[in-house]
Amino acid sequence: MKNKNLKSLFVPLLTALSLSVTATSAVANDFPSKPINYIIPFNAGGESDLSARFQQSVFEKYAGEKAVIQYMPGAGGAVAWSQLNGMESDGHTIMGINIPHSIMQPIVKDSGYTTDELTPLYYFHYTPNAIFVPANSQFKDLGQLIDYAKKNPGMVTFAGSGSNSANHIGQATFDKLTGVTSTYVPFSGIGPAMTSLMGSQVMAGFAYATSGASAGDKLRMLAVSSEKRLSAFPDVPTFKELGIDLVGGAYRGIAVPKSTPEDVRQKLSDIIGNINKDPEFVKKMEDNGFVLTDIAYENMDAFIEANKAEYQGVAQLLGLIK
Amino acid sequence: MELVSYLIEALTPLNLLLALVGVIAGTIIGAMPGLSATMAVAVLVPFTYVMGPASGLIVLGAIYTGAIYGGAFAAILVNTPGTPSAIATTFDGYPLAKQGKGALAISLATLASVGGGLVGGLALLFLAPPLAEVALAFGPSEYFWMAVFGLTLISALSVGNTLKGLIGACIGLLLSAVGVAVVGGDVRFTFDQVSLLGGIDLTSAIIGLYCIPVIIDLVANKAPHLKFESIKGKSSLSEAFGLILKRKFNLLRSSIIGTVVGILPGAGGSIAGLVAYTEARRSSKESETFGKGAPEGIVATESANNATVGGGFIPTLVLGIPGTPPDAIILGALLVQGIKTGPSLFTDQGSIVYTFIYGLIIATLLMLPVGLILGKYAYKSISKTPKELLVPCVAFLTVIGSYAIHSNPHDTFVMFVLGVAAWFLAKLGFSASPIVLGLVLGKIAEQGFVQTYLIGSAQGRTLEMFFGRPISIGIIVCCVIALLFPILAARKQKKREVIEEPSSKPSVLVFVLALVGVGIVLFNDTKNMSILGAVFPSYIAGAMIFLSAVLFIKLAIKKGGFNQNAKLLPNKRQAGVSLVILLWTIFMAKIGFGLAAIIAFISIMFISTFEKPKPMRVVINIIISILIVLLFYFCMKEILLLRLPSGILF
Repeated sequence: MKNKNLKSLFVPLLTALSLSVTATSAVANDFPSKPINYIIPFNAGGESDLSARFQQSVFEKYAGEKAVIQYMPGAGGAVAWSQLNGMESDGHTIMGINIPHSIMQPIVKDSGYTTDELTPLYYFHYTPNAIFVPANSQFKDLGQLIDYAKKNPGMVTFAGSGSNSANHIGQATFDKLTGVTSTYVPFSGIGPAMTSLMGSQVMAGFAYATSGASAGDKLRMLAVSSEKRLSAFPDVPTFKELGIDLVGGAYRGIAVPKSTPEDVRQKLSDIIGNINKDPEFVKKMEDNGFVLTDIAYENMDAFIEANKAEYQGVAQLLGLIK
Repeated sequence: MELVSYLIEALTPLNLLLALVGVIAGTIIGAMPGLSATMAVAVLVPFTYVMGPASGLIVLGAIYTGAIYGGAFAAILVNTPGTPSAIATTFDGYPLAKQGKGALAISLATLASVGGGLVGGLALLFLAPPLAEVALAFGPSEYFWMAVFGLTLISALSVGNTLKGLIGACIGLLLSAVGVAVVGGDVRFTFDQVSLLGGIDLTSAIIGLYCIPVIIDLVANKAPHLKFESIKGKSSLSEAFGLILKRKFNLLRSSIIGTVVGILPGAGGSIAGLVAYTEARRSSKESETFGKGAPEGIVATESANNATVGGGFIPTLVLGIPGTPPDAIILGALLVQGIKTGPSLFTDQGSIVYTFIYGLIIATLLMLPVGLILGKYAYKSISKTPKELLVPCVAFLTVIGSYAIHSNPHDTFVMFVLGVAAWFLAKLGFSASPIVLGLVLGKIAEQGFVQTYLIGSAQGRTLEMFFGRPISIGIIVCCVIALLFPILAARKQKKREVIEEPSSKPSVLVFVLALVGVGIVLFNDTKNMSILGAVFPSYIAGAMIFLSAVLFIKLAIKKGGFNQNAKLLPNKRQAGVSLVILLWTIFMAKIGFGLAAIIAFISIMFISTFEKPKPMRVVINIIISILIVLLFYFCMKEILLLRLPSGILF
């Protein structure tokens, strides 16, 4: 009885509310009309956080509103991504999204979402993998490390961030391409992995090139998995130059809940694209070892399909699927 | 000389004002369980872009250090650590408050926090580059042994009840394994629940384990929560000061422990507090008073956790590796400003870095007046607030606190389930602290263990990796001493304390048998995991089966010493308050955060009203309730910018 009364009270209210929601979303010209919530699906301090902070510092210039960064860590991003489609879809809620994470997780296990359920709008950069050694290491170049690893199977230990991560995939691919056997030691993040490497607890590190930017002269970078040498580290050769076909790393972008209107999606994609051209932003990103990419909303489907095919093979390489 | 000019820069009226505002805001945020420094710092970062780097950093640092300190308030007054750093503060702070000495406890915490903060700050000022090497000397095996050392505290926390303490630790360690594993990448113990993939959030677990039993017990009868004694003629501050002077060595040692643990990335204030507490208890002449309101326990924890603030900035600034989540955000703010961290930072960007460090030290000193004033009113208002308002307030804080961490109603649900479980466990003689210890230390112990094993076996020197490294040997010796000490001390006293079982024989036997069963189920579950992911939980599950079986036999042959009349089930009011919180957590997202809070708040208010109230009183209470909820709703939505489910109304 009581319930019925409540219902009769709320039904008209609900209708009014949903009407007003649709009314506003029809007018994308007003978008954005308030600060945008930018949810990072990881803890503070990682590459996703840092690149978002760089965007945040110029966001208002291109969007007309501020971006507010929040954190929703858990299960390597899966906690946040599995909830994304239930969030407000007027474009004022956006979320960081990563490859390989958002492709590998659903392949390997039920992560509460599938890759196709997510709506990425723009992949704006990637961080190539790099092999690091401590400054006092015996390995002066990659050739020496490979020679050592060939003579001593398993003895070379690589610190990296987590199991089945982009670092882990990089290490497994490296092993396959060079025919060596190395040991991957997963840490709970890039920070702890780099600390153990600087302290020579492990022989080498398989981590993002960005880690080299703050380590100064404590680490030596032997090779980087980008197409071209990075402007921040002009002396470090690419794997390709050394005859190893290892290119890639982790891509980062933004996604929205799937019911976000088409015109708002396009507008957000344009905003991120414009930020990617901001000279101040570009300089900060490149100084820190990020590689900018412009995979915009209109090219997204092809990009995702290509990556899905690639990581299916990677999952087999890691023995995660049969 | 330069250092002095930086000091003058930090002392501008604007910077002083910012430090003061930061400390006040930080203390209040820290005192609310679930609201964290990370949250406040994350929201404020954009302001530092316009404020100038040094001033901006001073606000962030002040909030951070204030929040670590503020965690003590909730720990002392409602037995719930406001931040995980204050876990060990509950051990003695709450008992002291129960004895009517809440003001003394807060004064002790304040002085210790200031002392610890200063030691950490001075280490950052003068010794940062050499101390950063400490972080590098700590490898996986040292992390593993440090976690084990923290776990030895269990033997001390559960004197006369060691088996139950160890079983509690196993429960905590197994809870820490839930979700996607860092090492191995397995999905563990989620039982196909997607919502458990992220694991059990430490903060919401702590809120549940400590705070829900307090709420349920508060409504058991009408006895007041805390006694308020105004001791005339003797101020709690001078008494606290005297107590600390007598324990200056404890303060110094704990501060150094805090600084060093702060330097280690990934360890943080909670572990610093636990390690310092263990060490203080071991070296104290009156170790039997620990856990019953020992001033030394509060001094050790609070000085250690505030020392981690300065300590944590050492690797952040020198190595570019953040020690704690707030450090990570502050590091991001630095990088956005175009400031490169690294060994050259102190020379190239001296004016910013040193102004910031001085700002941090000034903020630490400001905690003294802020803390004493806030503390005085906090204790008074908690003990004077009538029960019918106190209970819903505390319940409200548990719900919003556990929700706010990740804006996720699932965390609130986990908080509630663990809380009710902790209440039943307490009835059966299992205390919450060993579970919390296992939960805090589990991940560090496991990762350290597996990493050491991986590195060791890759190079064929596993044993040497575990037992042959100098720092490891040092920590192992400390572990052995900490384990043996309580046993030897008990021998010396000759009379063994016989602890009565708080429950009836059949109920505790059934429960322990159930634990064996749970252990077997979990052990079988580890068979589907990769070797890396299975090794740790399978050992722990095995240990739980064994320990529970031993306890079962011990209790089965034990005659007498059971409280046969004990009631295991809650009374009507207790069940009522639990039910309201349960419905609250389930329907929060559907009804709307604000509306659900108002309905639940008022219902709990009626449940915890014992005397027949005057109508006028009821009206006033309802108005106060709505105002409290709306005030928090506004602060969370508009100031901390949290996403709150709006449901049907608001």
